[in-house]
Amino acid sequence: MTLTRRNLLKIGAAASALPLLGSRAFAQGEPLKVGFIYVGTINDNGYNYAHNQGRLYLEEQLGDAVETTYVENVPEGPDCERVLRELAQQGNKLIFATSFGFGDSVIKVAQQFPDVKFEHATGYMKADNVGLYNARFYEGRAVCGTIAGHLSKTGKAGYIGSFPIPEVVMGINSFVLAARKVNPDFTIKPVYISTWNDPPKEADAARAMIDQGIDIIAQHTDGPAALQVVEERGAVGGFGQGADMSAFAPDAQLTSIIDHWGPHYVNSAKAVIDGTWVPGDTWEGLKEDVVQIGPYGPKVTEEVKAAAEAVRTGQIDGSFHIFTGPIKDNTGTERVPAGQTMTDAELLSMDWYVEGVEQPA
Amino acid sequence: MDLLIPIFVTLVGAASPILIAALGELVVEKAGVLNLGVEGMMLVGAIAGFAAQFYTGNPYFALVCGAAAGVAVSLIFGVLTLSLSTNQTATGLALTIFGTGLSALAGAPFSARPVQLMAPLFPPELATHPIWRVIFGYAAPVYFSLIMVFVLWYFLKKTRSGLILRAVGENDLSAHSIGYSVVGVRYAAVAFGGAMAGIAGACFPLLLTPQWAERMTAGRGWIAVALVVFASWRPFRLLAGAYLFGLVMTMELYAKAGSGPLSAIPSELWAALPYLATIAVLVLISLRRDGSTNAPACLGKPFMPSN
Amino acid sequence: MPFRLEKRPEPSRTMLYLTPAAAVLLTMIVGAIIFSAIGYNGLGAVREIFFTPLTNSYKWQDLGVKAAPLIIIGVGLSIAYRANVWNIGAEGQYIVGGLAGTWVALATYSMSGPWILPLMILAGVVGGMLYAAIPAFLKTRLNVNEILTSLMLTYASVQLIYYLIRAPWKDPMGMGFPQTRLFAESARLPTIIPGTIVHLGVPIAIIVALVAWFIMSRSVFGYQMRVVGTAPHAARYGGFSENKTIWLALLVSGGLAGLAGVLEVAGPFQRMVPGFPANYGFTAIIVAFLGRLNPLGVIFAGIVLAITFVGGEVAQTTIGLPNAATGIFQSMMLFFLLAGDLLVRYRIRRTAVQPSRSAA
Repeated sequence: MTLTRRNLLKIGAAASALPLLGSRAFAQGEPLKVGFIYVGTINDNGYNYAHNQGRLYLEEQLGDAVETTYVENVPEGPDCERVLRELAQQGNKLIFATSFGFGDSVIKVAQQFPDVKFEHATGYMKADNVGLYNARFYEGRAVCGTIAGHLSKTGKAGYIGSFPIPEVVMGINSFVLAARKVNPDFTIKPVYISTWNDPPKEADAARAMIDQGIDIIAQHTDGPAALQVVEERGAVGGFGQGADMSAFAPDAQLTSIIDHWGPHYVNSAKAVIDGTWVPGDTWEGLKEDVVQIGPYGPKVTEEVKAAAEAVRTGQIDGSFHIFTGPIKDNTGTERVPAGQTMTDAELLSMDWYVEGVEQPA
Repeated sequence: MDLLIPIFVTLVGAASPILIAALGELVVEKAGVLNLGVEGMMLVGAIAGFAAQFYTGNPYFALVCGAAAGVAVSLIFGVLTLSLSTNQTATGLALTIFGTGLSALAGAPFSARPVQLMAPLFPPELATHPIWRVIFGYAAPVYFSLIMVFVLWYFLKKTRSGLILRAVGENDLSAHSIGYSVVGVRYAAVAFGGAMAGIAGACFPLLLTPQWAERMTAGRGWIAVALVVFASWRPFRLLAGAYLFGLVMTMELYAKAGSGPLSAIPSELWAALPYLATIAVLVLISLRRDGSTNAPACLGKPFMPSN
Repeated sequence: MPFRLEKRPEPSRTMLYLTPAAAVLLTMIVGAIIFSAIGYNGLGAVREIFFTPLTNSYKWQDLGVKAAPLIIIGVGLSIAYRANVWNIGAEGQYIVGGLAGTWVALATYSMSGPWILPLMILAGVVGGMLYAAIPAFLKTRLNVNEILTSLMLTYASVQLIYYLIRAPWKDPMGMGFPQTRLFAESARLPTIIPGTIVHLGVPIAIIVALVAWFIMSRSVFGYQMRVVGTAPHAARYGGFSENKTIWLALLVSGGLAGLAGVLEVAGPFQRMVPGFPANYGFTAIIVAFLGRLNPLGVIFAGIVLAITFVGGEVAQTTIGLPNAATGIFQSMMLFFLLAGDLLVRYRIRRTAVQPSRSAA
C-alpha cells in the first residue's frame, strides 16, 4: 500500500512537472482515478449526499475502469486549494469540485496541474482544463410549483433558502410561475436564513410559515428539517430537495427533486479515458436525467399527477419552458415579452423576482 | 393577535433546550468552574439521544441516554480541570472539539434515518383550545426545564448543600479550610452540568427536528454559556433570558415569513442581536450601584491549596 | 493511594519541554488503539495524519501556509494568557482585521502601487486592535469578564461579514453570490518562493514569533506581563498597573489576530467570502497552550496543528478516515498536553504512610 502510494505521488509530481509524460504514463490501462470534494458531510441527506450517490453510480457503471476518492467537509477557501492539490498529487486525473465556493481554488490549482481535468459544479469560471457543470433544478421546481398550485388551499407557499444567489432566485421564480399558471393568485414568501445547514432554524422557519397561513413549503437548504415540520403539523405538503426524503415525511412529501449527477460523472470519466474530454459548460436537466422527479406522495391526486407529468414531459421534449414570456417582475414591470424565452446567461445571473414573489428583506 | 400563541409555542421549543443546558452550566459556574464545552456535550447528548430513540422508540430512555453521555464526556473535563488542575478555558474548548468530532463519528451510520418526535406530555384533548395549548401543549422536557428553574433556585438559595456549593465557588480556600471537599463538590457540579447539557442535546432530535445531522446544535451551546452571564447567575433570570433569546430567534423567522414592518430588518442583525444583547446586559449589571457583577469569585480559577 | 503529588519549588524545565512531545506521542498511541477498536485502520490513521504530511515537499508548503495564521494569533494569545488576560475572541479580531484589510483593498481597487498592501496590513492590525479594545475597555472600566465579551463579539463579527458581502461589498460581477470582488494585483500578498504557494505571511509569522520571544524574555514589557500573570500582588508593589497590562495584552493579541486576518485575506483568499472565518482564532488557543505560552514553542505547536489538519485530509483520501477523526486527534492531543502540565508543576512521590491530608 505504501509502495503504490509512493509511486502515485511520484507520478503526480512528475506529471505536474512534465505534463506530456504524465498523460502517457496514465494511458497504460490503469484505472482512471477520479476525485470528489464536498462542502458538507455525505450524511446530510441532501445536496452532498446526492453528489456522493453520483460518485457511487460512477463506480458501479464503470467498474474497474475507475477508482474514486472523496473528501468531505471541505471549507470554501485556501483549505480547499490544499485538498485539490492533494488529490491531484495522488494521481487523480479528473476532479469534481461540487460547490460554488470552490471556484477560486479550482482555477488556481488547475494552473498548477495542467494535465488534470477539473469540473466545477454551479460555478462560472472556466479554463483550459476546467469545465463547468450544473443541473437545471428550476425544471424540477416548475413541476413542484404545478403541484403546489393545485393542492395549496391558502394559495401561499414559503421557500426557505440560504442566500439569495441566482440559483435560489431562479428556483423561487420557476416555482411561482408554474403555480400561477394553475392559480393566478398564488404567492410565495422567500425566507433566507444565512446558513446551508442549521436544522433547528430551518424547522422553526417552517413553523413560522405554517403559523402564518402558508401551507406548502419548499426549501433550498441541505436537509429534511423543514419537510419534517410539514409532516408534524399536517400542512398540505413540501418537497424533497436533492434526494428523495419520503423516509422523513411519508405523508407530506408531495414529490422530490432528485439530483442525479451519476450520468454526468460517467460521461465525463468516459471522455477522459477516451481522450475526448474538453472543458464543457453543461447544464443538464430532466431530459438528460440529471434532474429527476421522485415518486409522487399520497396526497397528489391522479388529476394533479397528470398535470405535473405534463409539465415534466413538456420540459423533456422541449415543448414547454417555464421562463417563456410574458413575465412581469414583482413590481409589475414586464421583463420578458410574450413568446420570448430567457437565455441561459440571463437565467444564471437572475437577481429579480417574478410577479407573485413577496420581496424578502 | 392570533399569532401570539403560535409564536410563543415555537419560542418555548427553541428556548427550552438552551435553558436546560444553561441551568446545568449555571450550577457548574456557581461552583467556580467555567466549562466552555457545553456545545460539545450537547452534541454528544444529541447523538446518544437520537440513537436511543432510534433503537427503542422510548423518548424518556433517550433523554436518560443523552444525560449519561453528557456526564461521561463532562468527566473528561472534570478529571483534567479538577484532579489535574488544567486550564479550564483550554480544556473546555478542547471538549467542544472532542464532542463535535465524537458525535459526527458516532452519528455517521444514522444518516437518512428519521425518528419519532416526543409526544406532548398531556393528552391532546387538553390542548385543543389555543389558550390551553400554551399551557398543555409541550413535551416533557419543557416542563422539566421549568421545574428545574424552581428546584435550582431553591437549592442554591435555601438548602445547606446549595450554600456549600456557593461557598466553594466564592471562596474555595475557606470552604476547604472548614473541611468541605472543594474538588468533590466541583466534580458533582460538573457532572450535573454534563447531564443537563446531554439532556438539552437530546432535545434536538426529540423535540425540534427528528433527525440526526452533524453539528445540529449549530452554536446553541455557546448561547447557553452566554445566557448564564446574561442572567447574572440567577435561575429565574435565566428563565427570562432564555425566553427572551428564544423570542429573538423566533421573531426573526416569523417576521421574515410575514409581511409586517419587522420583515425589513436584515437577517444578520437578527442573528447578532442575542450576542450584542448579552454584552449590553453585562455592562448594565456592572453599572449597578453595588458594582458587583454577581460572578462567582473563583470562576475559572483552579483550586490550589497551598501545602 | 500509594502516590502523592508534591509541588516543585520551581517548574521543571525538563518536563516543560518533554510533556508536549509526550502528549503528541500518547495521542498517536491512544488514537491508533481507539480507531482500530472501532474498525478503522488505526496505525494507518496515525501514519497518514502525523507523518505523511512531512514526507512530501509539496506538503511542506501547505504546512507553512496553514501554520502561519495559527502562529501569528497563537503568539499574541500566549502573551495575553501569560498576563492572565483571557482573550478567547481572537477569531473575531481576526475577522475584523480581515474586513479592515478588505475595506482598504476595495477602496483602492482602481489604484495600484506598492503602498496599498502595507496600508491594508496597517488597517488589519488596527482593526484587530480596535475590536479587542472593546473587551479591554469593558474589563478595565466596568470589570466585565473578557472571556465572555470577546467571545460574544466573535459571533457578532461573523454576521458583519455576512452583511457586508451580501449587500454593500458584493462583487458586481459575481453572479449575485455573496462575496467581494477579487482584489486588484496591488492588494494581493506576493508569494516569496516562485512556483510555490508560500506567501509573505509565512516569514512574517516566524519573525513575529522571534520578536515576541525576544520581547517577552528580555524586556521590561515582557517582565511586566509575566509578573502580572503569575503574581498580581507583587506586580502591584512593583508599580505595574494591572489595567495597563490588560490593555496591552488585549491590544497585542487583538492586533496580531488582525494581522493574521489581513494576511489571510490578502494572501490565500484574495477576496472576502463567507468561508473566511476558518476557526483559526479558536485553534490558535490550542496552539498557544501546546506551545507552552512561549512564542518559540508556538511556532512548533502551529506546525504540529497544521500537520494534523493536512494529515487529516490525507487520511480521508488514502484510508477513508472520516473528517471527524481530525477533531478527535486534536482534542486528545490537547487533553494529554494539559494533563502533562501537572508534571511540570508537581512531582509524583511514592508514599509509604497514609497521607495526613492530601490536596486532591
